[in-house]
Amino acid sequence: QVSVLYFARSAELAGLRCETLWVPRQITSLQLWEEIVKVHPRLAVIRDQVVFAVRQEYVLLGDQLLVLQSGDEVAIIPPISGG
Amino acid sequence: MDESEDVPKDFINLKSEKLSVDEVSELVISPYCGAVSLFIGTTRNNFEGKKVIHLEYEAYTSMAETEIKKICRDVRQKWPSVKHIAVHHRLGVVPITEASVIIAVSSPHRAESLEAVMYCINTLKASVPIWKKEIYEDEYSWKENKECFWANSEK
Repeated sequence: QVSVLYFARSAELAGLRCETLWVPRQITSLQLWEEIVKVHPRLAVIRDQVVFAVRQEYVLLGDQLLVLQSGDEVAIIPPISGG
Repeated sequence: MDESEDVPKDFINLKSEKLSVDEVSELVISPYCGAVSLFIGTTRNNFEGKKVIHLEYEAYTSMAETEIKKICRDVRQKWPSVKHIAVHHRLGVVPITEASVIIAVSSPHRAESLEAVMYCINTLKASVPIWKKEIYEDEYSWKENKECFWANSEK
């Protein structure tokens, strides 16, 4: 069970900023994205632009295997524009 | 003279109040430093012919602070003589001409602080989870830094 955080455009598309999702303990980053899109189909349009931050480390969407623990923070990170 | 009393410090602040150049410069001033270099990022009133009404910033605050701390650590590795570093970024609504970000670095001589300030702003734009929304008269747009390493280059 992880906390998913939504920011910027992803928060607008999902309609919320934060929720708890149940996901397998081991999952690739791409599979995790697909789980989230099942819940919020409107996010599909930004698939090519986002990365994750898992426990505050950036992770590209792909084959990278994530080992998640209950309470971990997973954030959807659209292209950044600070500064 | 005991320079060990003036321990190098990082001052990182993400806040919604108006930023102050005086406040940020004063944070990094040190009697052992002959140079303070500053960068101020301000809000332009136009983009591609559209009038910008104001900007809005949001952040993944805890991670943004961690990423800025990493930038400070990298600065100290690359320029060991750097003394203090301050990075203040505004969140929420930022009116035109007001500052969104102020970065100040002090060092004994000017080359290091000038280079370190440039490194800080360039790396912040590439790696810190902060987002800017430009509000126009009829619409808005989430901006994307070209430095962002995962964004599509075509727009």
